[in-house]
Amino acid sequence: MLLEIEDISKVYRKGIRANDGVSLSVGAGEVFGLLGPNGAGKTTLVNQIMGLLKPTSGTIRIDGTDVIADPGFARQACSLQAQVQVPIEGLTILQAIELAGRVRGGRKAEVLARARELVDNLDIGEWANKRGDTLSGGVLRLASFCMAAVVPGRVVILDEPTNDVDPLRRRLLWQEVRALKESGSAVLLITHNVLEAERAVDRLAIIDMGKVLGQGTPASLKEHEAGFMRLELVFEPMAKIPAPPEFINKAIDLGSRSIGIVSAQDVCGAIDWASELRESGIVEEFTLGPSSLEDAYIRLIGREEAIDPGTEGAQ
Amino acid sequence: MGRWLREYSLMLKWQMLSNKPMLPLYLVVEALVAVGFVVGIGYLIPDINSQSAMYLITGAPVLILLMIGLVMVPQMVSLARKAGTFDYIWSLPVPRSCFLAADTTVWIVITVPGVILALLIGSWHYSFSLNVSPFVVPVFLLVTLTGISIGYAMSHAVPKPELTMLVSQVLVFFILIFSPIHYPIEQLPGWLASTHRVLPFTYMADLMRGYLTGKPPVDAGLAFAVVGTWCVLASGITFFAVKRRR
Repeated sequence: MLLEIEDISKVYRKGIRANDGVSLSVGAGEVFGLLGPNGAGKTTLVNQIMGLLKPTSGTIRIDGTDVIADPGFARQACSLQAQVQVPIEGLTILQAIELAGRVRGGRKAEVLARARELVDNLDIGEWANKRGDTLSGGVLRLASFCMAAVVPGRVVILDEPTNDVDPLRRRLLWQEVRALKESGSAVLLITHNVLEAERAVDRLAIIDMGKVLGQGTPASLKEHEAGFMRLELVFEPMAKIPAPPEFINKAIDLGSRSIGIVSAQDVCGAIDWASELRESGIVEEFTLGPSSLEDAYIRLIGREEAIDPGTEGAQ
Repeated sequence: MGRWLREYSLMLKWQMLSNKPMLPLYLVVEALVAVGFVVGIGYLIPDINSQSAMYLITGAPVLILLMIGLVMVPQMVSLARKAGTFDYIWSLPVPRSCFLAADTTVWIVITVPGVILALLIGSWHYSFSLNVSPFVVPVFLLVTLTGISIGYAMSHAVPKPELTMLVSQVLVFFILIFSPIHYPIEQLPGWLASTHRVLPFTYMADLMRGYLTGKPPVDAGLAFAVVGTWCVLASGITFFAVKRRR
């Protein structure tokens, strides 16, 4: 494995345990997702890989090198799309990508050609020569991705790469992530957007309160949900939301929407109940489908606030 | 060394381009501060003679350079720390000294025109002539580096960015009123004069004034040593603070 994280714990001075025995590994040519709600300890882990934070215990190795002892090696080996916006206020997108590529050791002509390729592939050409301080958050995120991908490290770390990005360009971004993987980089993808992660990752870990709650392929994590269906209801505005029947498990309220898990034998009852609500004008629409990685995520995390209504269903 | 220089030049380009939208404004403000200082002296002391005006105006470069280091640098660093910018900068595969050197270079570029303008307008307005020694260049660089290093050390070593701003305000007040930059050290009470014997500010003013007027201070070696020690000390604290992993 190219990136190996073993039993990493990070306890801050005030006793806050941001990471608690985290172990995971990412191989070359693999996209590994790290999923968890806000404050789960994802960015803390990234900052430890990059040598910005020192773990309280545990080891981090990149290609066999202990990067806790040699953080300079980590910065050479990893390219990072940080969660924070990149400081490119006075730079155009192309200048920023070029400088990031050259700082990573790329040759000028090659870096420029690759920068133009990335700009074209992500369809951000119309802003290529615009300064960072005039751009929207989504375009800045894409520029930041390009800066990490122009001369990719052997490990590429993408921390919430799709935040603020429009749905069409998200698809283009995922294509580029796959291209990075195919070129042999180990991609560590940090996100709280479960739906996107399910399509993009080869393996993933679900993390909350600093601990890894489960890891494996999306299919293996969903095994527990086999035989269950997911019922999603969209309520009419101002409608009084009724209590769910007993056969709807783990119903969670996301404002104007509710999601519940239904076992196979209760599907007919669930459809009848939802249809009645629709006819009585409480529910605008409902869908019943196979359970998803999101359901596994909710089961493992076990609390409603883990789902971010803002990114839910972004695709 | 070649690699360091290559990376320094890239970070310098990054910083120059990053500051490009604000650069003209910085230059104008610095020029206005310089001109304002020269004109303001005339209001403060209406019948000032050329000798006194020369004394005050040759102290202005130190004051301008210290304001950059102790006010502008902490402000910018505090904003960047709050925005998390350094989490990105420090994750780049370049030595942190490259970034700090590039940032310092940008501040020097911003400051030089204002300092020269203050001296030119001051000498013309108050009819005195300067006798500039080549030693002014190393003195200028040493004063700038020391001021900026103290600013960086304060910004990176103080745990909260808000606290940095407060420390910066107190320090500026102390330098403006209680530091013998624009008056002789003998005018201070004994204990404060003794304190200034180990602080860099009075030595900075002595060196700058001496090499601008052709009368180098008699204890130039001591002055260089004290300012140099502060420069090394503040740079050391800065390097320790930016390299430290929390």
